[in-house]
Amino acid sequence: MNAPLRDRTGLLIDDQPEMRSSVRIQLSDIGLEKCDQARNIKEAVERLSQRQYDLIICDYNLGQGADGQQLLELLRRRNLLPHASVFLMITGETGYEQVSTAAEYAPDDYLLKPFTSELLRNRLLRILEKKQALQSLYQHLGEKGDSRKALAACDALLAGNSRYGLDILRHKGDLLMTLGRHDEALALYESVLQQRSTPWAEVGKARVLAADGNESAAKAHLQEALRAYPNYLAAYDSLAELLEKDEPDAAQEVVERSLAIAPSTQRHRRLGALALENKDYARAETAFRRAVEKDRTGFFKSHDDYAGLAHSYAEQGKTQEALAALKEMGNHFRASASLDARQAAVESLVHAKAGDADAAKAALARALKAGQGDELDTSTQLELAQACFASGQDDEAKNILRGVAEDYQENEKVLAAAQRVFAKAGRDDEGGIFLDAAKRSMVKLNNEAVALAKAGELDKAIAMLTEAADRLHNNCQVAINAALALLMYVHRNGMRIDYLSKAHDYIIQARYANPEHPRLPEVETFYRHVAPPGTILLEE
Amino acid sequence: MDDLIAATLHDAKNSLNTLLVWLDRAERGDDAAPLQQARQQVAVINGQLVELLALYRDGKGSLRLHIADQDLRDYFDDLKCEWPVVPDQPVIHWPEDFPVPAWAFDGYQVKLVLFDALRNALRHANRQVDIRLTFDATEKCLCLTVADDGPGFPEQEFAAEQGKAMDAAGSGLGLTFAQLIAEHHRTPDGRQGRLEMKNAPTGGALFSLRLP
Repeated sequence: MNAPLRDRTGLLIDDQPEMRSSVRIQLSDIGLEKCDQARNIKEAVERLSQRQYDLIICDYNLGQGADGQQLLELLRRRNLLPHASVFLMITGETGYEQVSTAAEYAPDDYLLKPFTSELLRNRLLRILEKKQALQSLYQHLGEKGDSRKALAACDALLAGNSRYGLDILRHKGDLLMTLGRHDEALALYESVLQQRSTPWAEVGKARVLAADGNESAAKAHLQEALRAYPNYLAAYDSLAELLEKDEPDAAQEVVERSLAIAPSTQRHRRLGALALENKDYARAETAFRRAVEKDRTGFFKSHDDYAGLAHSYAEQGKTQEALAALKEMGNHFRASASLDARQAAVESLVHAKAGDADAAKAALARALKAGQGDELDTSTQLELAQACFASGQDDEAKNILRGVAEDYQENEKVLAAAQRVFAKAGRDDEGGIFLDAAKRSMVKLNNEAVALAKAGELDKAIAMLTEAADRLHNNCQVAINAALALLMYVHRNGMRIDYLSKAHDYIIQARYANPEHPRLPEVETFYRHVAPPGTILLEE
Repeated sequence: MDDLIAATLHDAKNSLNTLLVWLDRAERGDDAAPLQQARQQVAVINGQLVELLALYRDGKGSLRLHIADQDLRDYFDDLKCEWPVVPDQPVIHWPEDFPVPAWAFDGYQVKLVLFDALRNALRHANRQVDIRLTFDATEKCLCLTVADDGPGFPEQEFAAEQGKAMDAAGSGLGLTFAQLIAEHHRTPDGRQGRLEMKNAPTGGALFSLRLP
């Protein structure tokens, strides 16, 4: 009866030696002999980078301020956890609260201590069976997945009356939302809710309402859902996101409530950012400090945490503490242009806040120099723009912001962040007009290029679009249009292998910028149509 | 609440004594039965402490259930697997028909409620205890029923202290906890879970947890 586990490989992750050995004995009782062990997040990440395991059994408590849930998120984000691998979380009662409410990155199953070997075996076998049955779906999920194929797999499985119908419906709802097919998603959630109330369908429905612009109905729906399901983190996350724009006070409160359930580095970061915006600097300080200090493994911190901490200090007049936080930031991360530029930009802002204009200018000069020639991450660019405004270098600030707005023409979140930079500099109205103009200029560029192409002036269209695409790596629309123009040329005038190769690269660039862009399939199909066999193959 | 704490601690102390007795017996012989009994006792004590903790947290306003979809077949497979096999007990008929494939509820807390009810039913049953699942379409709720073939609830218990009849040692904790867990099961449209206790027309006690 232990045969199904006999040939599997396992990894057991627990920081406590006694627990490791007792679970290890239980695992070998049920036939899993080939089992490696890891004592902490670092070892687990090392092991999983080296090889693939069939079964990962992880304790929730991992010491060093880290937990199994954070590890799971890290593994998924870094693509270290193949969908075929089973991830079973073992928890005590307190951990159970946090695992069972984990929204986005849920383990395949969790098991409450103490448990018998038989129960452990049943659970592992059950998950393996499910993974096997839903393999056609799972293989298309995740960061490198393909939502359209995953959706097709859902439909095929549902048509085959899979016993996992509910799991499949849940995935299908998410996929429909990702693909922007809101009406179908709503119909799916409504049909589930008609039979019974369940948290995921309630939140799913609220997300559809929000996506269709019906934000107040979405908020009300989430509030109601939270009264019935006070532990459902996905509902807090969705609600906070909706409130962020117009009611940052309320958003902060919602994040506070979710932190009471599951304190994570990410939630502390979010709380810190909201508290900063709400000028609740003391709370921002404690939140960012938690993010920085709690995670002693260093796996989950981001530049944002240290930058946020420095700003929280600076706003309270604690200049020395702010500078110390920035120094610490430099010690914690691998050197990069973004790190140097971010550190110096925040330093400049700290000095500006303290009234030391010379020091602010000197730091800003360092920041701008660090950023030269390298592509900086978006938060760093925004910080840099902020520092430019603070030191009176308005043109430089606007240059940076124009670049960001053109690059993220279709990304409302980034555009809102850019708007906040203007607002902080006391240029709210100007920001609106400026960003709108940047956005419109991109629309104009795309339209003009398309018109030129239609009028037969393909060379001009190609020149315009490739210039823009080479400059704006995050603008999916531009990359797609550039690829289309190049392919059109080949289609009309015969093969030019350099054009084909460039078109290929722009498609990859577009996929990287936004894998779910609705116009991607069109350009991919055109590419395959135009590219003869034996030329560069466009991978799935 | 204070009375309940005292009564529960008293129960837990008694349970620990029982546990010691079984452990003594286990030490003396190589019979597995005393160990199984001991394990059963550990489960009882653990349950009591967890339930008391839940009541405490409710008082503090921090008791939050974890409502999530449970595949009912898998759920009851697990319960069956976790329920300790004790010889010479009435037969337990676990559910085999599932009126719906899944339902959203707190699997852990509901397990504690069902195990309490099951222990109680076993004490009063003659030959068998049935666990049944039914779906009430008008109220849109799932009913988990534990039915025994014993003498049923005494009439006066319905009038006043229903609780005592329900409980392992009579502290009232089990029923108070079951009530609490039932009421904490809510839906966004305002429906709430509840308990139902009655005697079957054919005799025996029926304990139902109705989950919206």
